[in-house]
Amino acid sequence: MKIPTLTLALAVLGLAGCANDPAPTEQLRVSEQALEQAKAVGATDQVGEFKLAEDKLERARSNLLTQQFRDARMRAEQAELDARLAEARVLTLKSEEQLNVLQTRVNRLRKQLAVQP
Amino acid sequence: MALIAVLAALGVQGCASQRSESALEDAAAAFQAVKDDADVLRSAPRDVIRAGESLGRAERLSGYFGSGADVRHYAYLSQRYSEIAREHSRLAANQERLAKLDLERQRLQLALREAKLDSVQQQGKWLETQIAALASEQGERGLVMTLSDVLFDTGRAELKNSASRTVLKLVQFLQLNPARVVRIEGYTDSTGTPEDNLTLSRERAQAVGDMLVDLGVDEKRIEVEGYGDQYPVEANASERGRAQNRRVEIVFSDAKGRLAPAR
Repeated sequence: MKIPTLTLALAVLGLAGCANDPAPTEQLRVSEQALEQAKAVGATDQVGEFKLAEDKLERARSNLLTQQFRDARMRAEQAELDARLAEARVLTLKSEEQLNVLQTRVNRLRKQLAVQP
Repeated sequence: MALIAVLAALGVQGCASQRSESALEDAAAAFQAVKDDADVLRSAPRDVIRAGESLGRAERLSGYFGSGADVRHYAYLSQRYSEIAREHSRLAANQERLAKLDLERQRLQLALREAKLDSVQQQGKWLETQIAALASEQGERGLVMTLSDVLFDTGRAELKNSASRTVLKLVQFLQLNPARVVRIEGYTDSTGTPEDNLTLSRERAQAVGDMLVDLGVDEKRIEVEGYGDQYPVEANASERGRAQNRRVEIVFSDAKGRLAPAR
């Protein structure tokens, strides 16, 4: 009794999904691009948001294969922004490292100048 | 059974809308924060606008029954846009600081270089006069500096401590004039056998040379010669004359490293 109800519910949801959403191929392309870009600036699985993006894109792809277009679109959209956030975080982190290096150099120069006669 | 399923479904729905509610609140708070931050607005206006649009969509959808997943989705997107915007403004701020800091680095580097140059030139001038006071121009032999016998005990080749200051000046002079080379020549008076005098003169010259090397002058820049009692500067008849003949002479090359030939 329970199982048929569930199946029916899923079928209805599935149908609704199909009816409302076209295949989000363009969104997937955009998301893939965002991931590529994040990777290009040095994002790895170590960056939490990048890992999220990878996982979501993966699931979006399999959703696409099983024609769950609504899920595919939402996951791909989230993956895109996860990737963009990952990219931004990596860039900020890098700029912080650069700042530290430069600050150290400036401090060293100041110290050297201070001991000049 | 069916009733339980419906109730369960409603219960899930209740939980879901609670979750949607808090997602919505979080997203709204995040959007409010970036919207009110002039720096964020300036560096990432488009992301702030999109955060607002997504939030608006989430809020509109939250009025419909069964829209929990969509509400959470757009709340999520809104939150992400806000975070991206904030991250961009952090990056922009860092880049601004980097540019300023780099200017400061350049300024300091220039100042330091000038200060160093000044001190090298001052030191160089001071040393030139010091060396000039100790040395004299001797025709074709070039610049010659004489270390008198007071720097050595009679019959001994070891330099006395009082020699250190003179030798130190010599080292500094050589360090500031890296192209110059020297020949260190030892001389004695005519007391004793010529063989002993030759050995002693050579050892004294060598002692000065060793000290220069110990203080960091490259061995290759130093020649050592011993001339014994040859080439006296005064007659050996008087004690005063003999004292002047017991000496070590440092012959400097010119600034290009050309040394007058040995005697």
